Amino acid sequence: MQPHLKKAFTLLAIAIIGFIVVRSFIVPVSFGQYGWYRGDAIIDSMNFEIRHAGSATCGEENCHNSIYSIWIDSKHKTVNCETCHGPSEKHVNNVRIMPEPVNDTRDFCGMCHFKSAARPEEFPQIDPDTHGENLRCAYCHNPHKPWFV
Amino acid sequence: MIGEIKMKLSRREFARIGCRVIIGATAGSAIIESIVTNSVASEDPPKGEYDWKEHLWGYVIDTRKCIGCGRCANACKLENEVPFDEPVYRTWVERYRELKDKDVKIDSPNGGINGFIDDVPAEEINKAFYVPKICNHCENPPCVQVCPVGATFSTEDGVVLVDYKYCIGCRYCIQGCPYGARYFNTEKGTADKCTWCYHRITKGLLPACVQACPVGARIFGDLKNPESEVNKILDKERINVLKPDLGTKPKVYYVGLDREVR
Repeated sequence: MQPHLKKAFTLLAIAIIGFIVVRSFIVPVSFGQYGWYRGDAIIDSMNFEIRHAGSATCGEENCHNSIYSIWIDSKHKTVNCETCHGPSEKHVNNVRIMPEPVNDTRDFCGMCHFKSAARPEEFPQIDPDTHGENLRCAYCHNPHKPWFV
Repeated sequence: MIGEIKMKLSRREFARIGCRVIIGATAGSAIIESIVTNSVASEDPPKGEYDWKEHLWGYVIDTRKCIGCGRCANACKLENEVPFDEPVYRTWVERYRELKDKDVKIDSPNGGINGFIDDVPAEEINKAFYVPKICNHCENPPCVQVCPVGATFSTEDGVVLVDYKYCIGCRYCIQGCPYGARYFNTEKGTADKCTWCYHRITKGLLPACVQACPVGARIFGDLKNPESEVNKILDKERINVLKPDLGTKPKVYYVGLDREVR
């Protein structure tokens, strides 16, 4: 082989080997495992911390099963505990960590129940100006077992 | 003279060099290939009990049921560490109001988390309704297509995820999403989006927004399971998706979608 060709091929070979070596250091091991992304990213997403425990957890034996049995029979059974009481997974794991206190203002109940043109008509709604004389809703209504007064 | 052009190589020599070139090229490309792909592509699902080949997740939103309480958007922010005081949302509720003069008002104050204020008297409203919005987890996602580094991808079970360690924060995907479902997370310094609570659904739980909805306007389930509630609704109701003409093939299906909703 002619010397100038030999030189060119040697340089090319070094460049290719260099590229492969550098690339193997830079690209994560799991990249390309399932597709053109880092396979371990799925594990990362799966291991994200859970915050909402779910109502069934609240109703477990020796916990809040008395209030749970009232709630599960009520019209509010579709409203999960944590929808009002806040995320409670930490409280489930350690009872000393209390969830946020409940917002018991009229405006909080009103997020669902104040009259609004955009709400389905059959959904129970009240006019805050004429209903309840500005009292807290829980003054008359039991939020765990609501009824019409 | 014609016929006098002869190769200087003998036939034997030519064959020998030819074979060397072919063998060398094959071996070289095989070695490069094996190093570049790092390891043999594995088809095994990720570790753990969850098998992603058994599921294909789908989501139904019944706009006729939504009361616009915004508890979904609230629960989502708390579950997924979305910056609470910033105007960024993984899911949010929009209010559409068609007035008597055919003017359409669309608003979503703080994603609906603090509720909606009635600033138009009911007499002036022709029709009004709430529409919850969320990432559509498209079968053909534009956001994944535009990512230059492979930091966002579709999983086998049909969820579009972000790799927060690999994202360079270039925001192409935020611009690429036709549904505005992505945002820039200033705390992480990366693009961010709804994961359908991948950490929950892979453990058999419901996404936080579905669990928080007090009226069952959000339904989540497995499209591969013919008995799932999502499949029952898809078989029974008249459904639509957002912007079907874009060909993104969303997996969030809407019941009772108005023509004004984009």
